[in-house]
Amino acid sequence: MATGGKAIAERQEVAVRRPGLWTRVVRQRRRILDLVQHGYIWLWMLIFVLPFLTTFAYSLRTADGISLSPYQHVFGSFKDNLLLSFEVTIISIVLNLLLALPAAYAIVRFPIPGKGFLLSVLNLALYTPAAVMGISLVIVYNFLFHIAQTLTGLVGAYVVGTYPMMLIPIIVALRDLPQVYEEAARCLGANRLQTLFRVELPLLGPGISAGILLTFVIVFNEFLVTLFVAGPGNTTAALRVFNLTRTAGIQPSTAALASTMQIVSFVVVIAFFRFFGSRYLKGTYLI
Amino acid sequence: MARVELIEVTKRYGQTIAVDRVSLDIAEGEFVTLLGPSGCGKTTTLRIVAGLIEPTEGEIRFDGQVVNHVPPHKRNIGFVFQSHALFPHLTVAENIAFGLKIKRRPKAEVQRRVEEMLELVNLQGFGSRMPSQLSGGQQQRVALARVLATDPQVLLFDEPLSALDRNLRDQLKYSILELQRRTKKTAIYVTHDQSEAFAISDRICVMNAGRVEQVGTQLDIYLRPRTEFVANFVGDNNVLTGAVVRVQQRDGQRSVVVKSGALELHAVDTQGLQPGETALVFVRPENIEVLSDGVVSEDEPILQGLVEQVVFEGPTVRFLVDIDGRPFRVVASGPQRLTLLGSSGRRVRLRFHAVVAIRYEHAEAALVPGR
Amino acid sequence: MAGSAQPLAVERPRAGLASWLREHRQLLSGLGLLLPAFLTSLLLSVVPLVYLIRVSLTREATFFFTAEHTIENYRTIAERYLPNLWETIYLAGLSSLLDLVVGYPFAYILVRKVRYRDLVRATMMFPLFGPLYLSLGMHYLFLPNGPLAPALNLLGIEGTSLLYSLPSVLFAMAIFTLPFMVMNIGAALSNVDPTLEEAATCLGAQPWQTFWRVLFPLSRSGILAGLLMCFGWNLGVYVQPLVLGTISEQRVLAIALYQKGVIQFDYGLAAAMGVVLMALAFGVTWLSLRLSRGALGA
Repeated sequence: MATGGKAIAERQEVAVRRPGLWTRVVRQRRRILDLVQHGYIWLWMLIFVLPFLTTFAYSLRTADGISLSPYQHVFGSFKDNLLLSFEVTIISIVLNLLLALPAAYAIVRFPIPGKGFLLSVLNLALYTPAAVMGISLVIVYNFLFHIAQTLTGLVGAYVVGTYPMMLIPIIVALRDLPQVYEEAARCLGANRLQTLFRVELPLLGPGISAGILLTFVIVFNEFLVTLFVAGPGNTTAALRVFNLTRTAGIQPSTAALASTMQIVSFVVVIAFFRFFGSRYLKGTYLI
Repeated sequence: MARVELIEVTKRYGQTIAVDRVSLDIAEGEFVTLLGPSGCGKTTTLRIVAGLIEPTEGEIRFDGQVVNHVPPHKRNIGFVFQSHALFPHLTVAENIAFGLKIKRRPKAEVQRRVEEMLELVNLQGFGSRMPSQLSGGQQQRVALARVLATDPQVLLFDEPLSALDRNLRDQLKYSILELQRRTKKTAIYVTHDQSEAFAISDRICVMNAGRVEQVGTQLDIYLRPRTEFVANFVGDNNVLTGAVVRVQQRDGQRSVVVKSGALELHAVDTQGLQPGETALVFVRPENIEVLSDGVVSEDEPILQGLVEQVVFEGPTVRFLVDIDGRPFRVVASGPQRLTLLGSSGRRVRLRFHAVVAIRYEHAEAALVPGR
Repeated sequence: MAGSAQPLAVERPRAGLASWLREHRQLLSGLGLLLPAFLTSLLLSVVPLVYLIRVSLTREATFFFTAEHTIENYRTIAERYLPNLWETIYLAGLSSLLDLVVGYPFAYILVRKVRYRDLVRATMMFPLFGPLYLSLGMHYLFLPNGPLAPALNLLGIEGTSLLYSLPSVLFAMAIFTLPFMVMNIGAALSNVDPTLEEAATCLGAQPWQTFWRVLFPLSRSGILAGLLMCFGWNLGVYVQPLVLGTISEQRVLAIALYQKGVIQFDYGLAAAMGVVLMALAFGVTWLSLRLSRGALGA
């Protein structure tokens, strides 16, 4: 009896073990696959940030070891460029808002025939390569409008190129906004303007902020159209980076300016994600 | 606080007619319900009264003044939406104060009024919450308070309770009625729910396919339907066609005798039917009485029927009874219903109450959906 | 005055213009709101592009004085600048394909497996700040004393041979547009029910069969949209070849256009190049808008 019982026990052990081994192999394969997949994502995340990290590391490397001294240039000789960048960015944001808000409102809330066509005209600049936009603007600025190499011309180029980026998220937000809030406000005695300022604009906040973010990121970092259109006195920080790349690319101060630009942009984007999430950026330049 | 008149109001969208020559006169302080199936134009009518939609033709008058071209914010109305429509970026108190702030009332008054309103809808202490932190019923009560705060002359309700669950709906409909009674405001209430309409209205206006089918009190609508649509839409009805054979005057009430197959039915008539005309006859399942043995007929004839089906539904029992080869739906309630549970397959005697006859109009009958 | 009761004056006579204005009030105020944006686009986008076409039909800078109309510029492009055109298309096409090969698995893993998507999204922002910083960063990366130098030495590759080369230009272009590819394919894949893959597996399909017969056909629209979008963006490539490329890559149209137009004042030829580039870009955009309904679906 005793031996018989042992045999049964052994057989049971084998029976239990076999699928156990198989499961373990499958599990191990799955774990390796998981590891490979996540490794792939992390590899690309590294590649995405690597150019910035290298630039940043380079900006700290001076003749006498690691130091922040190249950043003295950023707030020294590059200060005017940075200030100009902030200036044109803010002006562009304000102008974009003034253009895009009424336009989005008209497109979503008013019965206008041929909306699809109108939208493509408004978005035309979005599909135009920067170099084409640059040369065409150089031509009309020189010949037709006589604003070549002026700040006006530069801002005009930024506005026409980026206000569709303001338009799209606001249109998305406005379409998402039920019309019933507008109607409720109207029935409570608010006229169109009061409805707009007290109800609709606050509720459109995230969409408008998304537009501001997009304008900021693009205008702040734009260099190619700027290269064509800007006059010698209007060198933005991004254009300065480009010019330095051509003439003094190996200088840590160049890397310092490029790092500063990216850090500022990144902080603004992250701040936006914290406040509003990424919902209203869908279908636009940034995801 | 205001008399509201709709005069031949029509709204067309291209070829389709959403509202078709609707006329309605609502007295000061009256509570009128627009009742009808979805797509019948009741909401469009309400929105026309609010000024959210301009009518294609016809006039809207408040206290005799034509308000067709007056924008909604100058009409002094209160509109309660199906989806409460509380502003999500404002607190409960700010929502209620919205209309008052728009009217630039002094701060102290606004504050006092908000407190008053919160008390009125039993939400004291909820002022600083955001709308999203409230339950569905509380949200709708805030919407009500927001509307009442500005002291509008007309209250408009667009299916305010349809998004809520049943218990809440029953509670809130009486609160709405009570608030309207207390504030004595003219109210128009849109719903597709009959029980809601019957519970709270002074008068009900039944609409179908953009048109008014009948306007009247609950009793009128239920006991004296004037169209086949009303008879079928409101409650349940057994329908027969037959020929008017004679007219009687009894106790000052006119009634007609309609012959349908072998049946002769005594019916109330409000349209002046004449002998020889074809009529539609309606009798509600709950108005068919199953007689216990021994009840002697007085003047209304007793009918014979064969019980084909019995369904026990708790408070009521449903029967399918074959009378003269035609199926009739019958509902019995009260203690007597229990004695009838085993009546399947038996012959019973029945008495019809509150039978209604209307003129049979072919064209109109053809329009009623599902027929 | 017999009937003192007010007649039901439903139809009232109205003045012609006033009633027209009233009837079209909605339309008119809508157009009014649209006007500033429309004018901006008209003056700074439509008019310049029309002018570009006109200038492209004149000799050198004669347009500004007495215009000499000619199709000489297009003939010049056909005779001498075809390699530039091919280089542009070649680089844009190759980098877009690279995006597809790299981006498809990336998007798949991102949609199906990854929970830290916000982190991924944040890192993906860096390429979107523009190709300039990207090129500069890669330039530093491949410098002889750069961070990759030890690894490259170990592999027997000289960093400087990568510094100015076709691969690094392609890589820089691909990184810049990879987020667009991931976004498009990711959107398409997240619409594919994962149970479809499980169903295919249960029916005995090998992983590659599942991919080829289920996943790929269902995400084809996203692939096409992504390819076209990356291609469209990369057609205008300028700074990557300039910083990381050899003479060969620096032939791309945008660089040639800048040289001719801004340095040599040959507006006619520069405009003609611009027209060619614009036609390419608009063709690609038109295709992608047709194939995938854009975010607005207008």
